[in-house]
Amino acid sequence: MRLALPPALLAPLAATLLLSTTALAHGPTPQKVDQSVTIAAKPDAVWAVVGDFAGMSNWHPDVAKSVGTGGNASGGRRTLTLKNGGTLDEGLDEWDAGKRSYSYRLGDADLKALPVSSYSATLTVSPDGEGSKVEWLGRFYRGDTGNEPPEELSDAAGKEAMNRYFDNGLKGLKARVEGKAKQ
Amino acid sequence: MSPTRPILLAGLAFVLSIPAVEAGPVYVASQGAGALTRIEAGAGVVAASVAVGQGIAQVAAGPDGRLYLTQPDHAGIDVVDGRTNAVLRRLPFQGQAFGIVASADGASLFVGDWAGGRLVRVSAGTGAVEGSCAVGRDPAGLVLDRKGRLYVADRESRQVSVIDTARMERLATVPVGEGPFALGLNPRQDRLYVANVRSGDLSVIETGTMAVIATVKVGGMPYGVATSADGGLVLVTNQQAGTVVVIDAASLDLKATIPVGRYPEGIAVDGVSAYVANWFSDSVSVIDLRSLTETARIPVAEGPRSLVVGAVSEAVR
Repeated sequence: MRLALPPALLAPLAATLLLSTTALAHGPTPQKVDQSVTIAAKPDAVWAVVGDFAGMSNWHPDVAKSVGTGGNASGGRRTLTLKNGGTLDEGLDEWDAGKRSYSYRLGDADLKALPVSSYSATLTVSPDGEGSKVEWLGRFYRGDTGNEPPEELSDAAGKEAMNRYFDNGLKGLKARVEGKAKQ
Repeated sequence: MSPTRPILLAGLAFVLSIPAVEAGPVYVASQGAGALTRIEAGAGVVAASVAVGQGIAQVAAGPDGRLYLTQPDHAGIDVVDGRTNAVLRRLPFQGQAFGIVASADGASLFVGDWAGGRLVRVSAGTGAVEGSCAVGRDPAGLVLDRKGRLYVADRESRQVSVIDTARMERLATVPVGEGPFALGLNPRQDRLYVANVRSGDLSVIETGTMAVIATVKVGGMPYGVATSADGGLVLVTNQQAGTVVVIDAASLDLKATIPVGRYPEGIAVDGVSAYVANWFSDSVSVIDLRSLTETARIPVAEGPRSLVVGAVSEAVR
């Protein structure tokens, strides 16, 4: 059916498919997200909080609930319930305590959680003077990967949401580790 | 195509010729910046950068020195003259053009329509549609062999479609891993390597029988694949890990893991060097295939994903 329709009709149709099945993983134009924060604590202390893949609700203020299976190893998974009601199912690709770094990716998309169709990301804790630097970077695709995405599923919307989500998370982590009240 | 003028392309790897590899310039398409960068073989610096247009995805080289760049978000294919660095025109394309390869004579382009699940043959001169056939969902990497058989990585259909380009008919589909994205054909063209992004492995297809004869665990997200000029090494970019994994083609054992930039994607072999597009780091890593080490990291315009080895300079003069 999709083949018979002109492109102008495909975008809304694709959006509908995404919203209903969330299985079209990928489009042609990836976008970057790159956030970092410095924290007045030793890297090991920061890693003790952020390195637990399933423990994200302990530090990310947007995450209401975090449930994991498979532990901190390749193949581990976590299901995040966000405060906005959306759900993110993420799988761990690599987890390296020596490098204080882990890489993971999104399973099925939930446009209610974040208006993106897929992403992969890496979070790394490194020494920075007396304290630490946490870098969180990723690659994602907009929510509607068709040719004419609606504004709320565009590259710009994805960038804004991903940057806000990463920024909120790092601020929450900093507050948590530096002993300030969690939001 | 003269056998002494090989075009080796990977990421969407294809290898037209084996003997006496004469290295040509490497062209890198930066999607974020919309720029095409030329790196001369053996040189560690950028020779030229051409502003093509924001959104260029994959690049193919024609035998006459022309470069073709897909514009998935702008319903077109941009044409650049590699001799003059001039942007010649944008060919129209009804659909979401992504993977692309030129025919051996340079007269036609084979283009994957990402959203439409089709492979389309168009005139390289005008963009006029010459034929099309259905493939799987989200066709990604394409590779064309010397006999005119074309392979398509159908990313969301977990398969490779095999097309007879003379008749524009699908001959077969070969089930592979999850999320096949890039294809690499060895110089003898008896093995097709398939990088599966989601299952984190490499499917090895015997082209004579169209059977998967091995699956090699790579880990992370394998996003690009190429072979060395003698076919002895298979090179796979692991985007999650920021590495190039080197596999012995005979034993399929891991031979080396080479750190490169962040989010490496396309990889192309040019003589004794491999070039890797580091998408996140905005750079190209140069790997010496004798020592299996990174010998240079060349800054390029934002968002490099795809690269291709162009015709040797004699061919474009």
